Amino acid sequence: MIQLNRVSKSYNGLPVINRLSLTVEPGEMVGLVGPSGAGKTTLLRLIAGLIQPDAGTIRVASSRLSYVFQEARLLPWRSAAANVAVALRANGADRQTSHMLAQDWLRQVGLAGFDHYYPAQLSGGMQQRVALARAFAVQPDILLLDEPFSHLDDGNKQELLAILRQLIESTNVTVMYVTHTIAELDGLASRILPLKSCGTLPPPARR
Amino acid sequence: MQPTLERNIPTLPVTLPRPAAGLKKIAAACPAYLGWHLAGIGLLLLGWQLLAMTTHNAIVASPAATGEALYQLIISGQLVVEMAITVKRLLIALMLGGAVGFGLGVLAGFSRACRALLEPVRWVMMTLPAIFIAIFGLLWFGVGDTQVIFLVTVIAAPVVYLNTLAGFDSLDQQLIEMGRVYRFSRWQFLTDIYLPGIGFNVITGLTLAAGIGVRAVLMAEVLGAADGIGHSFNRAWTFLKTPELFAWMLVSLLLMALLELGFLKPLRRAVMRWQQQST
Repeated sequence: MIQLNRVSKSYNGLPVINRLSLTVEPGEMVGLVGPSGAGKTTLLRLIAGLIQPDAGTIRVASSRLSYVFQEARLLPWRSAAANVAVALRANGADRQTSHMLAQDWLRQVGLAGFDHYYPAQLSGGMQQRVALARAFAVQPDILLLDEPFSHLDDGNKQELLAILRQLIESTNVTVMYVTHTIAELDGLASRILPLKSCGTLPPPARR
Repeated sequence: MQPTLERNIPTLPVTLPRPAAGLKKIAAACPAYLGWHLAGIGLLLLGWQLLAMTTHNAIVASPAATGEALYQLIISGQLVVEMAITVKRLLIALMLGGAVGFGLGVLAGFSRACRALLEPVRWVMMTLPAIFIAIFGLLWFGVGDTQVIFLVTVIAAPVVYLNTLAGFDSLDQQLIEMGRVYRFSRWQFLTDIYLPGIGFNVITGLTLAAGIGVRAVLMAEVLGAADGIGHSFNRAWTFLKTPELFAWMLVSLLLMALLELGFLKPLRRAVMRWQQQST
């Protein structure tokens, strides 16, 4: 469960999130849409604990949280499999198990045989597949996605959205998906929250 | 066989360089402007020869006389003996200086307080003229190995330290955030993010330190050692054996080239293996 109570955040005196309250139930899939500067990324970063709010409280009931960023954020000096394995090891798996699981997750995102490739040898779409494999490999109970496919061409984006839907369906993960494009949320969000400027929300609309 | 991407993407959108063979491989290994490099060397030799022809041979030895002196040093075995002594001192000092500079650089990279604490020391070490440090070395350790190693260590450490710090400053903060999200342990942060991330800068620091170190080791040997290339250079000067003096000068250049090819390049290749495989 994710619970935000009157959360505010500003950068250099400029309010980005203003007294935002929001509850996301376990297993719920929430889509956050809004224009640039609406505070979508800030909201995810607050939930992930990467930044602290200026006011208000955030409660995140999670033992494992995954975050798929706009950029793949892979370690350039580690192979695709090692990039997945390193997250698994951070979550308690031993070296051998993590490597086996990493190969399996790469296969699930359509990258069988690319285990030993370095990120620079992979295209943007393939790198984002590795990031997806890493995010799901740790078996998160909360998954934050911050416009993960915004840099990709339409073909790649549709493929990755299909993989993402499939992976989410097979788990009971709580999802928060940030995007500019409402069409991306088809099948990925049970609730869509249109975030307006300064991180304010109108009454939520049910889909 | 190249693996193929599943889900409607038939081929790998990157092509990896295929290993070249024979002449192609040699041509690929040759740097651009090789001809100009060789012309530059020829120009240097020509200038040297002209200088030797227009001055007394006790002041500037000709390339031929220097070559003869060098040959004598080789067949007498003196070159190998003196070179081994200098190389041993240089490597010990570079390892010591490298370890100290790297260790303190890592500490200062993690701790702003540590960085502020070390800054005055770094400033003093980098500002003091090498000749002053050499004289302090002579005063404290006398003639021999220790003062030579001391000088090179003190000169190399701040260079490696500064480059290690620069590596920390240029680390991709997004990767650190990713590590925080996935709950990397301190050890994982160190071995999976920090050390590989600063590797290039550390190697650059070591290369710079080696360049400065070669000059420093020879200076320290000139000032206060009973053997080594620097000492032999000094002895040739004392007895006005100008061709031998020039031969030792060539040996000092050879020393740097050997250090670069035999130690620094393989080290760089090992540390930056991922980058070579990525290109």
